[in-house]
Amino acid sequence: MAENSNSGDATSTTTESTEQFKAQGIAPDSNDQADLGSRNVSGDQSGSTDESLNSYQRQRKGMPSWAWIIAAIAAVAIVVGGVFAYQRNNSGSDAAAASDSIAIGLTLAPTNLDIRNEAGTALDQALIGNVYEGLVARNSENTVIPALAKSWTVSSDAKTYTFELNADEHFSNGDALDSKDVVWSLDSVIKNEYQDYQVLANVDSIAADGANTVVLKLKKPDATLLWNLTGRAGLVFDEDASYDAKTQAIGSGPYLLKSFKQNESLTLTANTKYWGSHQAKTKTVVLRYITDTNAAINALKGNSIQVLAPITENLSASIAKDSNYVVKAGNDTDKFVLAFNGKGSKTSDKRVREAIRYAIDNKALISSRGGADAALGGPIPSLDPGYEDLTNLYPYDQSKAKKLLAEAGYSTSNPLKLNFEYANIYGTDLGNQLRSQLKAVGIDLNVKVVEFSAWLQDVYTNKNYDLSLVDHNESHDFYNWANPEYYFNYDNKQVQELYAKAVASTSDAEYESYLKKAARLVSEDAPADWLFNYRVTTAYRKGVTGFPLNLNQSLLPLWNVQYKA
Amino acid sequence: MVLGLWLAVAAVSLFWTPWSLWWTDGYHVWQKPSPSHILGTDGTGADVLSWLMAGSRTNLLICVLTVLVTAVFGLLLLAAMLARTALFAQASVVVIDALISLPTVLIALILAVPFGPSVAVIVAACGFGYGLNLARIARPQAMLVARSGYVESALSNGASAASVFSRHVIPNIMPIMMVQLSISAGTVVLAESGLTYLGIGVQSGVPSWGHSLATSVTFINVYPITVVWPGLIITCVVLALNVFGDALRDCADPLSNPELRAVRGRVEASKGSEAEYV
Repeated sequence: MAENSNSGDATSTTTESTEQFKAQGIAPDSNDQADLGSRNVSGDQSGSTDESLNSYQRQRKGMPSWAWIIAAIAAVAIVVGGVFAYQRNNSGSDAAAASDSIAIGLTLAPTNLDIRNEAGTALDQALIGNVYEGLVARNSENTVIPALAKSWTVSSDAKTYTFELNADEHFSNGDALDSKDVVWSLDSVIKNEYQDYQVLANVDSIAADGANTVVLKLKKPDATLLWNLTGRAGLVFDEDASYDAKTQAIGSGPYLLKSFKQNESLTLTANTKYWGSHQAKTKTVVLRYITDTNAAINALKGNSIQVLAPITENLSASIAKDSNYVVKAGNDTDKFVLAFNGKGSKTSDKRVREAIRYAIDNKALISSRGGADAALGGPIPSLDPGYEDLTNLYPYDQSKAKKLLAEAGYSTSNPLKLNFEYANIYGTDLGNQLRSQLKAVGIDLNVKVVEFSAWLQDVYTNKNYDLSLVDHNESHDFYNWANPEYYFNYDNKQVQELYAKAVASTSDAEYESYLKKAARLVSEDAPADWLFNYRVTTAYRKGVTGFPLNLNQSLLPLWNVQYKA
Repeated sequence: MVLGLWLAVAAVSLFWTPWSLWWTDGYHVWQKPSPSHILGTDGTGADVLSWLMAGSRTNLLICVLTVLVTAVFGLLLLAAMLARTALFAQASVVVIDALISLPTVLIALILAVPFGPSVAVIVAACGFGYGLNLARIARPQAMLVARSGYVESALSNGASAASVFSRHVIPNIMPIMMVQLSISAGTVVLAESGLTYLGIGVQSGVPSWGHSLATSVTFINVYPITVVWPGLIITCVVLALNVFGDALRDCADPLSNPELRAVRGRVEASKGSEAEYV
């Protein structure tokens, strides 16, 4: 071999030496040589292994074969019998009682557990209502219900809230929970600017009045206060407890935090000394974070998780057909907003914005996503106060869109060209569909799908865009439309006034009616198209009960969840 | 034949596809193959066949550009490694050996951060990576040529280094180059689909096989048939390119083709020219 490669003897005629030359001279790929080498070695070894095996078999020939056969049959019989007996025992006990543990597959994982400093709804989802509790809570219809406070009264000028706490409340470490803890918790949110401290900007003072009464005074009426207190700003912590909030959690809720593995799982165990009536029904709940959708579905099918939320509607088809599973969509407050830059060179023309809204076939978008999402004609979704069905304001109507574009001075020879930039977390499908829908009326969409950081820079900060798409998932976020500084570049004084009046209103009915008016005004102005209201789809095994379907990506109280196999 | 079909489809797609690329129907997504949509529809309700046809154009462009970049870059590196300044030649060998350890995907990622995903990023990253490989693999053969008697005689006759490189070295390494370039062409088709799947390949909205594959692969458990088409095409084309490379080598390389060697012997005897067997 070595001789050939060095001499480069091109006239050698035997095929064997040519092959060798190829391996060495032409493609001096070390892998090839290694392969050749290893093949030889393994060849030798297999020869020797065969040799020893043969001799072993020769030795064994002397044994009485019938004895072996009987022994083997007996062994198999024992094993099979044992397995059957074990299964029968197991299934008997399972059918009788609920499983003492349940695993739930989720997508977004919290980076750490510090709920006072770390942003992200994954933390609200995992901890609020399970480990931590607030003065008040939310039910699955997104309305305020009692929690630590059993009742509250509002003064007639809507500036004083008096909360009455339940008797004998205590934290999971045994410390009593009284009005002092509440005052300390809320005060420190404001003082230390913890997450969501902005929603307490209106608060004038918080004071304890006896062990079970808390009085909260506002500078001016704030109709959003109670709902805001259901979130992080209203959580009550133990002043005397000391623990690392990034990896541990001590609260007053029905569950204790057992362990947290970053990006993997969060394990909750029932708090046996829970003060309230929401005693956990399942002893151990594991939240497993699985980002890959197909892996998550396989985990559900393999029963390593019993619930999967959310599941992509289009992917749920195979599971929905299987009678062992239930697939259901719940309401949510995610609004897929296609924003039109209010100060864009072309989109500042209202006729252009209206034309785009007429040109979009929202029902086709929803259908292509599996049909679970709801049509949404304005900025407020059905679970938020002030909702009204506004889908009739700009129905799908290509001829109206074309007419408006012609009025605005665009034609086939002078088509309207718009830049559409959005973050790649929303995938490419929506961009392609909008591009094709708008092309039908003569709008050329230049779709740019970028990294989230690039989107933050271009669209959110510099407001340099024509069209952009964001899933605004927050509830009660109408204030964005009353903020002319927001990236929408939407500035309507009337809307701002109406929103201010809504916030200052002293009754829920008044609050809702102002919001309703404002929302209609916004939608009429067409500063955006609300493509659809995303609804969250959950898949679970038959036998799972008590799992919240609505809003479960941000609000997931688990005390009621149970699994009977 | 596969390659011919590829060229033909790419040419046709310039003028005609069964459906417009920008035709979507949200009510009929993930359709099974039917007379109106021969390969069915994708998740936006667009025609899969049309996208694949248009994609063949993008992939052809990427393939051709990458092969060109690989060839040019590889030959430049080779020239550097054959330089008569020993220090420069050795330094370039070390540098190339070091760079060769960088995975193409990493290079593409680095490029995609400032420039964003685009065809140019794929071509640049792959051309860079494959050019390094080409230079490294062609070097031994090129060294043999550079030290051969006829090159020395050419040099003593006053031939410049550049002309030796183009008239003696390149023709001699042509068989290796052919194989390497055809492998590069095949690999870049794979790389395109891989990079596009990672989101650093072709931009959204640009049809390519990788795009078709990436958009359907999430749904492989529910709509497996849609994934098959781009997968099948990519496999066929990559295979065809590799077989094509082997065939080219067989035609051009006297070492693997005894017939050619016989011809070459006769030609050399009569003319003594090397250009004939290239």
